[in-house]
Amino acid sequence: MALDPTAAREQILEFCKSKTKTKFYFNDFTKLFPDAGQREVKKVLTTLVNEQVMEFWSSGSTTMYGLKGAGKQHSEE
Amino acid sequence: MAFISTGYDPSKPMEGRITDIGPRHFEEFYPPVIKKNKGQWAYHEICEAGILMHKAKGGDEVYTVRCGGARLISVTLLREVCDIADKYCGGYVRWTTRNNVEFMVDTLAKAKELKADLNSRKFAGGSFKFPVGGTGAGITNIVHTQGWVHCHTPATDASGTVKVAMDELFEHFTKMDLPAPVRVSMACCLNMCGAVHCSDIAILGYHRKPPIIDNKVLDNICEIPLAVAACPTGAIRPTKTEHEGKTVNTVAIKQDRCMFCGNCYTMCPALPLSDKEGDGLVIMAGGKISNRISRPKFSKVVVAFIPNEPPRWPTLAKVLRQIVTAYAAEANKYERLGDWAERIGWERFFEKTGLEFTSHLIDDFRDPAYYTWRQTTQFKW
Amino acid sequence: MAKHQTPLLDQLESGPWPSFVSDIKQHAEFRHANEGKVEYQIPVDVCDDLLGALELSYVDGETHWKHGGIVGVFGYGGGVIGRYSDSPEKFPGVAHFHTIRINQPAGKYYTTKYLRQLADLWDFRGSGLMNLHGATGDLVCLGTTTPQLEEIFYTLTHDFNTDLGGSGGNLRTPADCLGQSRCEFACYDTQDLCHTLTNDYQDELHRPAFPYKFKFKFDGCPNGCVASIARSDFSVIGTWKDEIKVDQDAVKGYVKGDFKPNAGAHDNPKWGKFDIVKEVIDLCPTKCMSYDGALKINNKECTRCMHCINTMPRALHIGDERGASLFVGAKAPILDGAQMGSLLVPFVPVESPYDEIKEVIEKLWDWWMEEGKNRERIGELIKRQGFPKMLEVTGIKADARHVLEPRSNPYIFWKEEDVPGGWQRDINVYRKKHAL
Repeated sequence: MALDPTAAREQILEFCKSKTKTKFYFNDFTKLFPDAGQREVKKVLTTLVNEQVMEFWSSGSTTMYGLKGAGKQHSEE
Repeated sequence: MAFISTGYDPSKPMEGRITDIGPRHFEEFYPPVIKKNKGQWAYHEICEAGILMHKAKGGDEVYTVRCGGARLISVTLLREVCDIADKYCGGYVRWTTRNNVEFMVDTLAKAKELKADLNSRKFAGGSFKFPVGGTGAGITNIVHTQGWVHCHTPATDASGTVKVAMDELFEHFTKMDLPAPVRVSMACCLNMCGAVHCSDIAILGYHRKPPIIDNKVLDNICEIPLAVAACPTGAIRPTKTEHEGKTVNTVAIKQDRCMFCGNCYTMCPALPLSDKEGDGLVIMAGGKISNRISRPKFSKVVVAFIPNEPPRWPTLAKVLRQIVTAYAAEANKYERLGDWAERIGWERFFEKTGLEFTSHLIDDFRDPAYYTWRQTTQFKW
Repeated sequence: MAKHQTPLLDQLESGPWPSFVSDIKQHAEFRHANEGKVEYQIPVDVCDDLLGALELSYVDGETHWKHGGIVGVFGYGGGVIGRYSDSPEKFPGVAHFHTIRINQPAGKYYTTKYLRQLADLWDFRGSGLMNLHGATGDLVCLGTTTPQLEEIFYTLTHDFNTDLGGSGGNLRTPADCLGQSRCEFACYDTQDLCHTLTNDYQDELHRPAFPYKFKFKFDGCPNGCVASIARSDFSVIGTWKDEIKVDQDAVKGYVKGDFKPNAGAHDNPKWGKFDIVKEVIDLCPTKCMSYDGALKINNKECTRCMHCINTMPRALHIGDERGASLFVGAKAPILDGAQMGSLLVPFVPVESPYDEIKEVIEKLWDWWMEEGKNRERIGELIKRQGFPKMLEVTGIKADARHVLEPRSNPYIFWKEEDVPGGWQRDINVYRKKHAL
């Protein structure tokens, strides 16, 4: 089943807002779309990052996605 | 110090953006003799320590002068490398996997002249800038991690311990007097950014104290679920505690489950674990990567702990000397350190090196441990 | 006069090995002198403050760096490591001290023109301190401030035609040995494979979608100079299938002492004269060689350990039917112990555009992305779900070469479809034959 990008986008944003944590692993999102391919989900996330709605957070060894500006660890500490 | 912009506009990050172009194509950087003879090399020979000769099927020869150096290098030194490469090598130079610099010339005479030039260059403090060596059956440069120069979870420094180790073993860098190559590697904590687990000798930084919990700030600067999820052994759980009369959200750590990896500290700066007395070094030995004669093998822990003794880490230097001296005297030609230890038996390894065998050296971590215990009557007195 | 006294670090200036302390000091002076009138974009005393901060770590026995959180260039999930000093008031020059990983060219050859360009950029927008190279292979630029990151990226991509390397949960910068460019042992073109896969997988390198890091390394032969079998999740090691090529005259040359044995790698006189029986024939792990004036090799029994070829490179050469073996799952010890790569594909031809290799990689990724837990390397997934599962997902047939020995427990988890008649049985049918 092909992913509807507009619906998927809304579902991702709602999922992020519904959680107390603010950083998510990639597979937290693929779990939202069990029928979609991983690459399709990634495309939606990449678009959200390019539109500055979401951003990456990296520990150096692992990387997570989150809403832009959310969470407690920011670049300007 | 006025900010000078390239033209990048932060409000329109995608405008004119170039991405996903990868590295430069390697062929742009091949010296002409390399480009011409790629895939056509017939054989090679080490002329003397630090000088290699590769002969092409068509008769071309390329002489490579290899020199060591710190992995941490300033652009001042990098420009000096460029000056040398411009003078001798037509503006080409390369680095090896083990942080050595290689200059390529077309005759042995030029290689020797270059070797003399490189060996004559010294820092104001007196050390060599470009010591020539690192070939054949000796000790080449150490691959290592960042340590106190740039990392947030190291249990020791990398550049300093490497400097001490190479000073101690320097004679084996400029000569090829060992039975086989000895590859030394260094990593600053058990996460091993520089996977050192298959080295003839590995120097590994190690923490020995679980994190301190900074209850005052933890809930303000950390996301507790992320700190909990970061622990590889599941030793961290969320909890509440009293701090200065107030109930605060924090974490509890099952200390006897902590393996001192620092992953929680990466996710949560309120869980620092570095400690002057707690931190130090583990020495591992006998690993290899090459398939030559024997299979690749893991390094084994031969010294459970050496305290951090900056700036010159004398105990580290002594232990390295003990291992290399015993190996140099006892091993057969072509025999790697781990092959030697297996041939004579690890019980004999500790006798020959003078290292103490302690209970910490017996594996008790999960399943592979059993396979390292002795299930035979065969052992040596 | 140095900005900070560094009596402990000063002790690392003596001794023969090149001193990083002396080097940082000379660069600190260079920055202050600023003969090129560079408009430094980060503090002029960054090197002084780095030495000061490092000295403090030498006194305290503890690091003074904090981890950085969200620092990177727009749209990329890797390539930049954020770092901040925990004592910025003492060392303002290194208050921000972020690292940028630049993707190195395959084989690590450079022109001085390119290196000088990089040096100028890093002087202008960074500390002027680098690692050549990082543990994974990148050109590492140590120490810059957040506002400089996009500027540096812009210059790298627009003027240097160069991209960043990887970090975090993505494909890490692939690395290779120098291969056929200058080595007669190389069984395939490591540089071309490394460069091609790096470019084909740019999205995986820059935009994380993996459970954890994933490394490619390419060794041209079983000597393994780039350590792929220990250090990469996906390791490609050159090998061959046919016979070792022997030049009997050159063998005689070694025996007579005309050529230096082991390619001249020993200079200790204690080893004495070369003895082909003791040094080659007897050390062959499969004992497939003999010498009676001519060298004979029973190639069918050879396991290509390279010892004889390494020892007599003028006389012995790798075969002509060349390709590579593929190994999967190497990683450092955390968490469940160290792993080396396990053999998945004994032989694959290595020919551009490398579709056969990419097919294996992509099947492994699909499996790992679907089944891998967060922070689980593929080597751990193989252990958790079993080697046969990896064969299943990659569609590779089991081969005795996959193991050192068969299993010594009989606990085979048969599947229903493996057993004739299936697992659904009628108890009444059973009871007709077997009373309670």
